[in-house]
Amino acid sequence: MNTSGNLIEKIYYDDDIVKKFVLATLIWAGAAFLFGLIAALQLAYWPMNANLEWITFGRLRPLHTNAAIFAFAGNAIFAGIYHSSQRLLKTRMFSDVLSKMHFWGWQLIILSAAITLPLGYTQSKEYAELEWPIDIAITVVWVIFAINFFMTLRQRREKHMYVAIWFYIATIITVAVLHIVNSIEIPVTFLQSYPVYAGIQDALVQWWYGHNAVAFFLTTPFLGLMYYYVPKAANRPVYSYRLSIIHFWALVFIYIWAGPHHLLYTSLPEWAQTLGMIFSIMLWAPSWGGMINGLLTLKGSWHLLRTEPLIKFFVAALTFYGMSTFEGPLLSIKSISAVGHYTDWIVGHVHSGALGWNGFLTFGMVYYLVPRLWRTELYSKKLLENHFWIGLTGVLLYYTSMVVAGITQGLMWLAVGEDGTLVYPDFIETVVRIVPLYWVRALGGFLFIVGFVMMCYNIYKTIKLAPKEQHDSYIEVSRSGYDELTKGHRKLEGMGAVFSVLAFLAIAVGSVIEIYPTLSLHRYVNPNNIVDPYSPLELAGRDIYIKEGCYVCHSQQIRPIASEVMRYGAASTVEESMYDRPFQWGSKRTGPDLSRLGKKYPNLWHYSHMLDPRAVTPKSIMPNYPWLADKKTDFLVLRKKLSVMKQLDVPYADDVVANADIYAQKQAKEIAADLESNGAPKGLEDKEIVALIAYLQSLGQKGKAQ
Amino acid sequence: MKSEGLKFFTDTHLTAMGLLIFFLFFVGVLIWVYRKHSSEIYAHMEQIPLKDGE
Repeated sequence: MNTSGNLIEKIYYDDDIVKKFVLATLIWAGAAFLFGLIAALQLAYWPMNANLEWITFGRLRPLHTNAAIFAFAGNAIFAGIYHSSQRLLKTRMFSDVLSKMHFWGWQLIILSAAITLPLGYTQSKEYAELEWPIDIAITVVWVIFAINFFMTLRQRREKHMYVAIWFYIATIITVAVLHIVNSIEIPVTFLQSYPVYAGIQDALVQWWYGHNAVAFFLTTPFLGLMYYYVPKAANRPVYSYRLSIIHFWALVFIYIWAGPHHLLYTSLPEWAQTLGMIFSIMLWAPSWGGMINGLLTLKGSWHLLRTEPLIKFFVAALTFYGMSTFEGPLLSIKSISAVGHYTDWIVGHVHSGALGWNGFLTFGMVYYLVPRLWRTELYSKKLLENHFWIGLTGVLLYYTSMVVAGITQGLMWLAVGEDGTLVYPDFIETVVRIVPLYWVRALGGFLFIVGFVMMCYNIYKTIKLAPKEQHDSYIEVSRSGYDELTKGHRKLEGMGAVFSVLAFLAIAVGSVIEIYPTLSLHRYVNPNNIVDPYSPLELAGRDIYIKEGCYVCHSQQIRPIASEVMRYGAASTVEESMYDRPFQWGSKRTGPDLSRLGKKYPNLWHYSHMLDPRAVTPKSIMPNYPWLADKKTDFLVLRKKLSVMKQLDVPYADDVVANADIYAQKQAKEIAADLESNGAPKGLEDKEIVALIAYLQSLGQKGKAQ
Repeated sequence: MKSEGLKFFTDTHLTAMGLLIFFLFFVGVLIWVYRKHSSEIYAHMEQIPLKDGE
């Protein structure tokens, strides 16, 4: 029945679920920000690692990123989507049960992340660290959300889908695709798995995912929220609906291609790098289309910045969005990436987006929502103002300190003197130089948290002073748009399913063109003749390396840049990492690159270095790892690990797989004997430190004589 | 060895065709979005969030 334009219906929106997500957003934001501040302090002052394995930087950093992205931003997205979709579609959510399952399922996932990550269970793929059982849970909960959303879409009373809804559709579809493709892994134990992709393939798929987590978890859903809440807060329609159509399709089509800009100058094939760079530069246009559309919505009503202070958050968020999306393409230019990659410049860039764009937009949305959800007035506009200015100061301190630190360190790494040698041959020199800026960053983060605490107090008081009797109120709506004859995009706007399929096709083009050839690379590259796989003990050590999050601060990918080759050795090749599951190229160098570390130092050096880095490198900011000398290596599980690797085409002999633990113990004895003869304690052969040393000594040493 | 892997995408005709298709599609969208008589419907669309009675 589609001609009932005059029928008035009573709708009760489900605001209870929105309240739940808003409160969860605030709770998890506190956790994410606190983890971030501790991590920032650990970099400025290494004793903050406290010799505790569970909060050491390598494990805390993934906890911080996951909490910030999935717990804070995730809950904020859901709060906004559940609130705005019901109103834009003139209907209650399809199923209260599914809404609740979505909410509690998501919180359980976050909780499981908060438990497993500090315990060292990680896949080491940035923003996809969670292990396979949690990956499955994420898929299930996301499908519940998708069913709930698309069924709501189906029973809508407003035939035309407003632009915010398109962004939600693109988000739901693409996040599902990204998560599933990047999480194809073979379980080894209950909380460990190996990805089916290896080396360069793993790197490309991971960064196709990682970059598009930024695109479709931190950009498109927030643009959708922006398109709803900015016009609502300003009480004016969006600046240009035409622009929203153009920038939506351009954004979802172009964004998906840009992943390889995280892998510039690596051993990723040139064509993929170039594609990533070109599309990243093109991405500037649709991104700024969104920013312009948001900011110019306020055209003619800028006075609201004075009278409605929450608008400040939206304006600042859009400004940060504009700056981040200018800086992203800038950093994607190869020659600029040469300076910025692996440095804190990237960290600054990320946080101008995360704190400035996602954070401020969320804060603005929460300030808008809470008084309306609880049917009251905001407790204090003055507090809101203070939150804004203190928070803004925090973000600016964070951003400027990290950009300065990043460019400083990047240039120091690249510096080659007139005599053709490195100006700063000791890596530690480049670290010591920027430590003061780490303190500034921590101060910025602290100020951001001070503002956030003000907000929590403001929201708490607002809810506390709200009327106790909160009756469900209905709203009267009539169906609209069902009696028009439409064509073209307008018709498309009325066809949820077709629109969704087209959005999927828009993201599928770039994905297939980049991923398919890379996954067929093994037809051209045969590592068999070039490198040997890791020995059982080295593999055990590699998994310890992953568990401790060493990849968070150390890369294993030497770029073909003169200064880099001088510092670390020959540039990395495709073949070298073709047995690496997961790949360990890294994306940040707080410490030096390790790809050719093997045989550079004696075993005892590594032993001393892991227990007290300052014993061998004065002024090092690396944490101590005393537990590695106490904890025992699990030798028995190696049989399972190797058999999974063999299943994935790593050329292990059957005998090695069947007796993996025996081979490993034999190699461990040799290393332990060497350590002992050089003055280390007795009885280290079954300890994790020995397995880790075996792995570190194998780096860059697995090549076969040509 | 790596150059073997690079054999993909050395077909300039293919890439030029891709560029042309994407660009023309984009121009098509522009033309469609800015064609005459569409202002009315956009005026309706942009009002949707403001007419939800809240």
